[in-house]
Amino acid sequence: MGILRMNQAADNKTGLASNKVQSSRKKEDWKKIILILVLFVGGLLFLYPFLWMISTSLKDNVEVYTRPLALIPQIFKPANYQRAFTLVPFGRFYLNTIIMTLGRVCGQVLLAAMAAYSFARLKFPGKNFLFIMVLGVMMVPSMVSFIPRFIMMMKLGWLDTYWGLIIPGLGDAFGVFLLRQFFLTIPQDLIDASVMDGCNPFQTFLKVALPLSRAALAAYGFLVVLWTWNDFLWPLIIATRTKMLTISLGIQLFQNQYSQDIPAMMAAASISILPMTILFLFAQRYIIEGITMSGLKF
Amino acid sequence: MGSTKLRGRALSEALWGYAMIGPTILLLVIFSYVALGASLGISFTDWHVLLPPHWVGLTNYINIFQDPLFLKGLWNTARYVLMSIPIGQSLALILALILNTNIRFRNFFRLVYFLPVLTMPVAIAVVWKWIYNPAFGPIAIFLQTVGLKPIIWLTNVKMAMWSIVFISVWAGIGYNMVIMLAGLQNIPREYYEAAEVDGASSLAKIFNITLPLLTPTLFFTLITSFINGLQMFDMVYVLTQGGPIDSTRTIVFQVYEDGVKSLYAGTSSAEAWVLFIIIMVITLVQFRIQRKWVYYE
Repeated sequence: MGILRMNQAADNKTGLASNKVQSSRKKEDWKKIILILVLFVGGLLFLYPFLWMISTSLKDNVEVYTRPLALIPQIFKPANYQRAFTLVPFGRFYLNTIIMTLGRVCGQVLLAAMAAYSFARLKFPGKNFLFIMVLGVMMVPSMVSFIPRFIMMMKLGWLDTYWGLIIPGLGDAFGVFLLRQFFLTIPQDLIDASVMDGCNPFQTFLKVALPLSRAALAAYGFLVVLWTWNDFLWPLIIATRTKMLTISLGIQLFQNQYSQDIPAMMAAASISILPMTILFLFAQRYIIEGITMSGLKF
Repeated sequence: MGSTKLRGRALSEALWGYAMIGPTILLLVIFSYVALGASLGISFTDWHVLLPPHWVGLTNYINIFQDPLFLKGLWNTARYVLMSIPIGQSLALILALILNTNIRFRNFFRLVYFLPVLTMPVAIAVVWKWIYNPAFGPIAIFLQTVGLKPIIWLTNVKMAMWSIVFISVWAGIGYNMVIMLAGLQNIPREYYEAAEVDGASSLAKIFNITLPLLTPTLFFTLITSFINGLQMFDMVYVLTQGGPIDSTRTIVFQVYEDGVKSLYAGTSSAEAWVLFIIIMVITLVQFRIQRKWVYYE
């Protein structure tokens, strides 16, 4: 009843002001159309390099230098992709990148989650001190410790190894901090129940905490995948021999050696982007969430 | 009996606690703290990695400030940050404000503007290098068809830094936009409703409600943009190698060249520490200034 009356009242009101509303709505519509146009022009500026990259990757090498510039190739040359894989061992670079990314994401998420749970839910002496120590790492730009890390890797004989690519990055203060926030929100009852069942803290972590924070783990995991896949400076330092290069270094190598073969280079660039784009389309929600969470760092 | 059992449980919990943080702490100690300390120590030596080090005190620090290349790196890094951050931040903010309304194709636009964030910087650089190509790149061809002279981008001392700034702004907008969108979502609707009752225009709402309440988010994106911008490396490495005539040489590029390429660990570490101190000071100053402009509820 009450709602009905309120609706009627609202109707009366709009009836009275309908002329005014209509004209202001028209104005609103115009504003929106202009905004959409602006977004489209801007969007084109963002999309064009990608379209151009894909189009060039399918063009004949001669067509690249002809005018006018057409976005749709005259002759489709998918063989450019094959060439990208044979001129330099791109297959191997792909494998290296996948191994590095998998190693990092598995290790980093597991270690960060374990530490985060411990900080969030277990009692032990020195916890605050250790947590501050972890937080301190977040303040230091990683590049300050690059040279000693490079020397450590050299002395350990880890240059040009997967160990060198994976292990130094496994301790991640940001992940610990992020996941701790989530573990703090798990109801104490659930943890108590699991302890009653005779679970030790690690079992509780595995059986209660991890399943409850799947979304947070996924979001963090995707961020780690993205960062590792696109990383450039660390692989540049670790990998010197061609067979240990990652995709990002491979593209750079390609550019240095075959800078005239633009279609193959664009093919190489296209396939470097593909996995992350697919992953993003499937997991958009998690990735956006992850980035949003990374914005809550402070 | 009961108390020893309890103590036993507390002890076991503590042991599990240590065991679970152990790997992370160990890795962070070795690769962050020890490495950080080592880099400070190394910066006081003249150490070519293949030769034994000698203690030289502050010599490296004195030398790098007389090294024209390092000074150029400082100057270029400052230029890069001061050029890219104001442009990048304001564009990201405008985009976020527009995309926060219920405009059509909203999700499509979000994806499009976000695409460069997913792309590896090296791929971005390689693609843009050809878009910039003064003879065959799309920009040159476009300028020619409208009857303008092609612009020389990357090999021109005047334009090289702008070219890099433009690409990094393009590549970074999506990230800041998403964070700002999240910040915008967190502003309670009631404020707007109250303003509507008062008959506030949409521009007035933006300036009186949205922007003040968004300042904590803007503070975050500003700080991270500074920290990241001061460490600019990838694009420079791929696009210009610091050239032409060192006009895009940044500090991190210099650190890389001296340390990893020439193996002068002492010089390189001193340069890295100077950058570290610069980043710390700028961040601290920003935390100081924030009281004047960041609005906390």
